[in-house]
This record gives sequence, structure tokens and C-alpha cells, in this order.
Amino acid sequence: MEFAGSVAGIEREAGVALLERPHMAASLRLDFERDLLSGQTVLAGSHQEPPLRVVRAFGIGDGAALVHLHNVSGGLLGGDRLKLEVNVGADAQVQITTSGATRIYRPRVGTAATLQSNEIAVGPQGLLEYLPDAMIPFARARFSQRTSIRLADGAGLFWWEILAPGREARGEIFCYESVEFKTDLLAGGRLIAVERVRLEPKKRSLGAVARLGAYQMWATFYICRAGVAAAAWMDLEQELRAVLGLLGRREDSLWGVSTLAADGLIVRCAAKRGRDVLPGLQEVWRTAKWRLYGRQAVVPRKVN
Amino acid sequence: MGYEGDLGRSELGELRLLHLADSALPIGGLAHSLGLESLVAAELVGVRELPEFLRGFLEEAGFLEAVFCRAGFRLGSRFLAVERPEDRLQSFARDWLALNERLGAMKPARESRSGSASLGRNFLAVVGGLGDFALVREALRVSKGEGGLIHHSVAFGLGSGVLKFEEDRAVLAFLHSCAAGLVSACQRLLPLGQNAATRILWELKPAIVEIMRRSAGCSVEDAWCFMPLLDWGGMEHPALAMRLFIS
Repeated sequence: MEFAGSVAGIEREAGVALLERPHMAASLRLDFERDLLSGQTVLAGSHQEPPLRVVRAFGIGDGAALVHLHNVSGGLLGGDRLKLEVNVGADAQVQITTSGATRIYRPRVGTAATLQSNEIAVGPQGLLEYLPDAMIPFARARFSQRTSIRLADGAGLFWWEILAPGREARGEIFCYESVEFKTDLLAGGRLIAVERVRLEPKKRSLGAVARLGAYQMWATFYICRAGVAAAAWMDLEQELRAVLGLLGRREDSLWGVSTLAADGLIVRCAAKRGRDVLPGLQEVWRTAKWRLYGRQAVVPRKVN
Repeated sequence: MGYEGDLGRSELGELRLLHLADSALPIGGLAHSLGLESLVAAELVGVRELPEFLRGFLEEAGFLEAVFCRAGFRLGSRFLAVERPEDRLQSFARDWLALNERLGAMKPARESRSGSASLGRNFLAVVGGLGDFALVREALRVSKGEGGLIHHSVAFGLGSGVLKFEEDRAVLAFLHSCAAGLVSACQRLLPLGQNAATRILWELKPAIVEIMRRSAGCSVEDAWCFMPLLDWGGMEHPALAMRLFIS
């Protein structure tokens, strides 16, 4: 009896230890530069704190560098404070993707929301293509993301984010508690896009016709290049509208495109199925990159 | 023509506020659907969905505009309280441009952004013609000079602050005029009769009051809005084959 009691005691202590795992505060900083001799963009420096990890930069076509963001804990846990800082040097070209969907787990009772902050700077004539997989907030997840993106003169950006309604296969549709996005996008010191989104499905129904209606997936895609004339953006807006018109039926997905206040445009998607979103974003990206840079969009290879 | 002191809270002030919030004010308010025309054309919003849509609109876009209306109001009030007028204009101009730039950056659809700016510029021009208001003149001058847009909610707030209306009343009036404008647009877009439209607008009033109250404690830095379908409507509007509205 005494032995059994001891084992039970050890198990209780282990359980308490699991419940009291300290929250993670970690940062990942990536500095990219263009090597003047070779013309290849390299990961010139980085600072990596677990669970955030980049293994290495891969060279891809026309001198760009591709990195995959890893979270070795498997996802974002309640109370985690994670920071991503990316600096793209002058003339450097960087592509960043994830190794898979970003899972946002529910926090323990009494734990703070998960916070992800992103500080991004793209130097003169630099280019950043940020092409992650979807974010999937699990039931009862609480998540807040703050993103600040600064583009120098001539800097370019392709930046998309995809939000899933939850673990659809398990029937978790809008079962999360809250998801917030705060995004500030500046070009040449001027605010060209600001997003403040707060999704609290229990308080304000996302299925309401004023919000997502019958759609469940939501994606935003910023396409920018500081210094490009307004007329060129209007032309690209028209061209992309024609591309989006071929993407499928409105019953399945809605796609919209519009020029920003300056230096770019935004594409928005509301879709019923996840599989309709990524191909559409890639099609837009291909068209826009060709128009803005005269180069092909290279879909990132995934590593597991 | 000068302005006769603190009449903001009087019956005369209330009448003036009603006048400035009236859809009949010649600023082009009836020419914009804010993207709703596209939603109706795509059969995403009909008469049946209208009450729910309008409530959602007030909770999201209405809330955002109310926060910026307050910011415009407080900007006007703050600078009116400063003693040396020549000192206040430069910093006023900087804050004015920044406020409008921020709201413009939060409007992803080009036509909706332009529509708001058209209403804002026209509104401020109307107010500028009603009296000798240095801040209104400066706002118009610096926006024109810098190529900055003047958004309707910010202009309404500034004008209300300069005219010394009561802040909450001004926000209520602005929200009501937004809602009334959309209902009016729906009467042209949908088989919505006068009585039904009146009832819808009547029943929105508690929501308008709630949004006004909720906007009081929110900064422009934190003001939220999530209306992806209306964003789509605004973005899609230029492509509509037939359009009744400018936006």
C-alpha cells in the first residue's frame, strides 16, 4: 500500500510539473545579405532560440535564398511569447516558408494568449516573399499576432497569410476563443496598410453575413514594391482581377483585389475549402511577380 | 461670420448637428454603397439578410469609423483650447494628416477609400462655408497641399469639435447617418419598401447607441474591423457591369 501510495505520489508530482511547464519566450532573428561577388543572397547572421529554428538557407533560382521556419515544439502553445525578426539587406532576395501548417493549441486554464510578433525590414531594392502554410487555431485557442513591415525605397514584398477555421476534419469550425491580427505595413515611412482584426466567434459570429457568411477560410496577400507608379498598380489590379475571375465559382470562394493607398495592392480571399486558397494565391503571385520583376515565381520546396 | 460661443449643447447646437448629419447635406452621401452593391449583385445580401448585415456593419465598420470620428473631434477640441494660434497649426496639420493616413490604410478597397475621402472633403468644405474656422481651413489647405485624403468620419469629428457639439452626440449622429445611408442605398438595390426600411433603421438604434458607447474607450491604434465580404464587395465594385453607385 505504501509503495502504491508512493507511485501515486510521484505521478501526482509529475502531473503538477507538466501543468506548470514554463511558458516559452523565444526569438528568431534572420539577417540576409546579397554577396556582392556571387550575387547570391545568403543568411549572413541569425540568432535562434528554441523552439524556433531555421536549419539553413537554400539557394534557389536567380540568386534568392529560401528558408523554412520550424517550431520544434510542434506548434504554438498557450502563453508562448515568440518573436520573428527578419532583415533583408539591400538587393537581397529572400523566400520564407513554413514546414507545415502552424497549429495554435488551446492554452491551459488561466494561461495568457499566445503572442507572436514579427518585425520585418526590407532594404533598398530587396525582395521578401513570405509564403507560409495556413494557421490552424484549435478549439479554445487564444492567439495574438503583431506584425510590422517596413519597406525601403525600391523594396518589394509578397506576403500572404491564411487562416483556417480550425481542425475541420474533427468538426472544429470557429471553436477558438480569439484570434487577433495587428499588422502595420509601411513603405518609405508611409503607412500603406493597417490591419486590426479581432475574431471572437462566441461573441460575434463569423458566419454572419457581415463577416465571412458561408465561407470559412480567410486569406490576405500583400503585393508591394516601393516606388512603382500608381498607374502601374492600377494596370496590375485589372490584370489580377481577370486572373481571379477564372479561379472558380463564387459559391466556393470569393477573391478580391485592390490597390493600396500607395506602392502596392492587396488580395483578399474568403473560401469554403482550404484546398481552393493556396492554388489561387500562387496564381496571383506568379502573375504579379512576372509583372513587377520579369521573373518567375518559384514555389518553395518543402522539407520535413 | 463668427461662431457664437458654446452653443454646442443647446437646442440650436442640436439642430445644427442634425443638419450636418442629414443625408440631404450636399456632400454626395447618396452616391456610395461602400461595396454593398456588389454583395447584392452577387446575391450575398438580400432583404432577408439586411437587418443582420447592418448590425454586423455597425459592430465592425461602424465601430472603426466611430473611433476615428472621436479622434477627429478630440483633435479639433484640443487645438481650439491652445492659446497661441500660430503655434497650434503646424502640429495640428501633422496630426490631421497622420489620422487620415491611418484610416485610409485601414480601408483596403480603393473605391470605398476614395468614396470616404470624397465625402470627407465635401463635408469639410461645407462646414468651412458656414463660419470662420481656422482649423477647418487649415485641414483643407494642408490635405490639398500634401495630397492627403480627408475621410468622412474624421472630417465629421473635426467639424463637430470645431462647432463645439457634444462628442457622444456627434458620434451618434454620424453613425446614424451611416446606417441611414446604407438603408437608403438598399432601397435602390433591393425590393425594400419605405415602411420596411423605416422599421429596419428604427430597430438599429439600440445597436448605434451601443457602438457609440463602446467606441469611447478605444484608441485609433486598437480600433478593429473585420468585414471580409464587404471588403470583397468594395474591391469587386469596379468590375460590375452596371452600377448605380460610385462605390
